[in-house]
Amino acid sequence: MNELITIFLGLVLINNFLLVRFLGLCSFFGVSTKLSNAVSMGVAVTFVMALASIVTWIIRHYILIPFNIEYMNIIVYILVIASLVQIVELFIKRTNITLYFAFGIYLPLVTVNCAVLGVTLINATENYSFLGSVAAALGGGLGYTLIMAMMSGIRERLELANTPEIMKGMPIAFIIAMLLGLAFLGFIGMI
Amino acid sequence: MAPIIGILAVIGLVCGLIIYLVYIKVPQRVKGLDKTEEINSILPGMNCGACGHPGCFGYAQALTRDADLVTKKPCTAVLLDPERLEQLEKALGITLDVSAMLKKALFHCNGNSEIICNYSGVDTCKAATQLLSGYKKCPYACLGLGDCVKVCPENAIYIDPEKNVAIVDTEKCTGCGLCIPECPQDLIELVPARTKIAFQCNYKPLRDVPGREKCDFGCTHCRKCFKACEYQAIEWHKEKALPEFNQEKCTLCLKCIEVCPQNTLADFTKAGKAAEAVTA
Repeated sequence: MNELITIFLGLVLINNFLLVRFLGLCSFFGVSTKLSNAVSMGVAVTFVMALASIVTWIIRHYILIPFNIEYMNIIVYILVIASLVQIVELFIKRTNITLYFAFGIYLPLVTVNCAVLGVTLINATENYSFLGSVAAALGGGLGYTLIMAMMSGIRERLELANTPEIMKGMPIAFIIAMLLGLAFLGFIGMI
Repeated sequence: MAPIIGILAVIGLVCGLIIYLVYIKVPQRVKGLDKTEEINSILPGMNCGACGHPGCFGYAQALTRDADLVTKKPCTAVLLDPERLEQLEKALGITLDVSAMLKKALFHCNGNSEIICNYSGVDTCKAATQLLSGYKKCPYACLGLGDCVKVCPENAIYIDPEKNVAIVDTEKCTGCGLCIPECPQDLIELVPARTKIAFQCNYKPLRDVPGREKCDFGCTHCRKCFKACEYQAIEWHKEKALPEFNQEKCTLCLKCIEVCPQNTLADFTKAGKAAEAVTA
């Protein structure tokens, strides 16, 4: 149990995907302009991460390791994640249309998010157990959502701030990302 | 090497098969969406976006949430089709006053301003207005290069080749308003469909050139139409220095049109026939 909590908290704060591992940065800047959008994106990422971890753990332990082709994991994982997202999207569209419209564009957007591929590859290299993989996925997703919410909250306020003309929009967002990253640097070495 | 390729191919095939199975097996019909589907089947389905929603399905969703929306942002294609309108009223449980909601595009220019130079540049009004406000004497005139024609989903706008002016076929116009942002001269206004007299000059207050100096058919603010009207259907707007037409009181006696020395006014109810005459 202790190990699971360590994995979970480690990925939420210490090895945060966005600010420490630098994964999933395109959506970090692309979708973080509005708080509601950022949180929807975070929820979608967490959901897909958890599903992808479960499926890739099964594939790794029952297909890749027995056949000795672990070095092919990236290509297999990409294939699996892409089709997984397609299946989930189709399923949600057919069964719960309200949820489908709540997710909107974000679910297909997650397909190409490297944080999702990242969590499955980290599971593979760290050799986590099944529960460990799920904990890592949930932790990574929560960390992602947390940073997205923080970033979008700051950027929403910045819209009202008197920013110099040359720094408006993306440049100031990069500087904020740097400051957030510096803050999260303080967590390194805690576990 | 071969077994690896085989394994990868099998994984890919299995993924594809699962997607196919989900596609086939999971039922299409969804609870809670019946009303949206019903409204969507009534809407015309041409996804023009004139209602401000992303396509007809988005509009149907918005209508499911808030039925009153139809009075604020009506779908003009439905308003023109009595069969669809009846179905929509039944589906939403409200009755609509169509004559008050229907709109038509009115071009505030009669195109009689003189052409002062040969324009042979890019064939759009937007490009032409970049050069000294166009090639006509009046800098606010319709240039007739047809930016509005291209955007009209109903093909209701024609260009009169002699005067180089856009003409709306009011019988085809659904009042969707897609042409309004296209016009670089701001000539187009959505007016109620029961409008009777069309004021065809783009004169606005505070402009540097009065209409008459640049165009033989421009408004001179002589107030003759105001004085001629026997039914008090025309009021004189002092700030704009323009006549305002009260469509309720107007009896279509057409005295204002007769009396106008500049031929700025026209009978809006016959605009459809005027368009036919041009295209014939």
